[in-house]
Amino acid sequence: MDAAASPRGRRGLFAFYLLLVLFLYAPIAVLMIFSFNDSRLVTFPLVGFTTRWYGLLLENQELIEALKVSAIVAAISSFLAVGLGILASYAMVRRRFRGKAVTSSLLLSPLVIPYVVFGIALLILFRAVDDFLIPRFGVFFGLGIHVVVIGHVVVSLPYTILTIAPRLERLSSKVEEAARDLGANPASTFIRVTLPLLVPAIVSAYLIAFTLSFDEYAIASFVAGDVTTYPLFLYGQVRIRIGLPQMIAVSVIVLLLSMVLVAGTEIWRRRAESRLAV
Amino acid sequence: MAETAPDVEGATRDSSPARSWPGTLGLLAAPVLWLAVFFLIPLLVVAGYSVGILSLFPTDAGANLDDWSRFLRGDSVYMALFWKSIRMSLTVSLIVVILAYPLGYFLALVAGKRKYVLLLLIIVPFLTSYLLRVLAWRVILGSEGVINSFLYSAGLREPGDPIAWLIYSQFTVILVLVYVWVPFVALPIFVTLENLDSSMLEAGNDLGANRWRVFWRVTFPLSLPGVAAAFVFVFIPTIGEFVTPSLVGGTKGTMFGNAIQSLFTAGLDWQIGSVLALFLVAVVGILMLISGRFLRLRNLETG
Repeated sequence: MDAAASPRGRRGLFAFYLLLVLFLYAPIAVLMIFSFNDSRLVTFPLVGFTTRWYGLLLENQELIEALKVSAIVAAISSFLAVGLGILASYAMVRRRFRGKAVTSSLLLSPLVIPYVVFGIALLILFRAVDDFLIPRFGVFFGLGIHVVVIGHVVVSLPYTILTIAPRLERLSSKVEEAARDLGANPASTFIRVTLPLLVPAIVSAYLIAFTLSFDEYAIASFVAGDVTTYPLFLYGQVRIRIGLPQMIAVSVIVLLLSMVLVAGTEIWRRRAESRLAV
Repeated sequence: MAETAPDVEGATRDSSPARSWPGTLGLLAAPVLWLAVFFLIPLLVVAGYSVGILSLFPTDAGANLDDWSRFLRGDSVYMALFWKSIRMSLTVSLIVVILAYPLGYFLALVAGKRKYVLLLLIIVPFLTSYLLRVLAWRVILGSEGVINSFLYSAGLREPGDPIAWLIYSQFTVILVLVYVWVPFVALPIFVTLENLDSSMLEAGNDLGANRWRVFWRVTFPLSLPGVAAAFVFVFIPTIGEFVTPSLVGGTKGTMFGNAIQSLFTAGLDWQIGSVLALFLVAVVGILMLISGRFLRLRNLETG
């Protein structure tokens, strides 16, 4: 006899599951439908089928510029976050030292900071820095892409650590010891043995950090200055209700791309890790 | 290179400088410095603003605790707004956990071999753009949105007479936040239930307890750490939320985060804004300490 649920219970739970899937996908499906609707207004009744909103995207310079800015910010910030994440993971997994508990709390604390607070904190930090620099040296740090990158590295770092550290933990230190016993020095052991074995986890971590940054609105809204990232652009368009079908169309493209990317790399990572099997 | 004694213990290995390249300090310097400079110091600057040591305009009053005491005594609108946000976040967290629990139960204990595929199906929406998901609800619930315009065109409602509470209300904010967080929270509950020793359930059954009894006396108590974790995972991000309320909440659905945001962008009262921001951080921090302790205790108890 099945201890978890009776046959009726099983059917009920499955029905509940299906209802939740419907609840989760219906809004996204509605967006997709309206991205093909031949009307400037996102209202019923549907007017007719069109792909012109997708065509218009290619001519929307502001939008393309915003996507470019976000791609640059995401590429740089996730690169830095992964680099720092590898260093931190290695220290946390392979080293024993005093103050480890405090260090680990510090490294993971950005997970729980409300982004609105972190955003304003960065904003007023750099205001204070500029207030100090401008009268004394006539230079300033300003707001913009660089500050968005700085903020995104902070909030992505714990995610990269949480992705890389468990993999490093499962990876027996015996492999590294073997390399050393065979005469490899510590540097080449790290670079030629440890890092390659970590590649699947590093790729996952990079993707997580990249998507986090690419989609991040709250922090960027405070520190982007006069630069417009893709989420900032999207937010602005949604508020003033202009070009809504176009925004939906671009969102659908981004959505499908990220789904394919995430699912693809997840499958690739599992395969790669089982092939490495250490 | 000097040879060390053949190492059998990890401890001797760690103490050998050649063995522990790169040094622990070298490994940690960059990540810790990054967080110190760009995370801790900004929060200290907020603290400085909140007590008037730093100020936006040189003419401001200097060091004082006025805004702190006014806020904590409840003399401003912000304390009421804080409690309203707490109520909304608690409601969201509760609904999310109630929805996610049967889901996690189904996936972990009933779904069988297909469970990872079914779980992935739930998680995929979480990977899509946050703004996009909020936008979707705006499109659906707006006064000229999908539901209302459908009602007009079906003749069920006069055009120009939308169902008012569908958008720009507390209801909308709660609905959208529930929508956003359900997939995320299914995960910790799923993991806890999956790690349950199924022989315990069977033992309960064999001893003659019916399924409900087994559930309430065995399964549910053992899954409480996962439930608590799930609750905290939703509560913490929603209590500081400001994007969703600003898009679908209108004035009725405003939350604490919106007050902070507008004090820094429109109101330009950075001192009271800093007080609110730091207070929010303190609340979240205390909550993390309590739940961390609770979760660890539960883990010890259940082995």
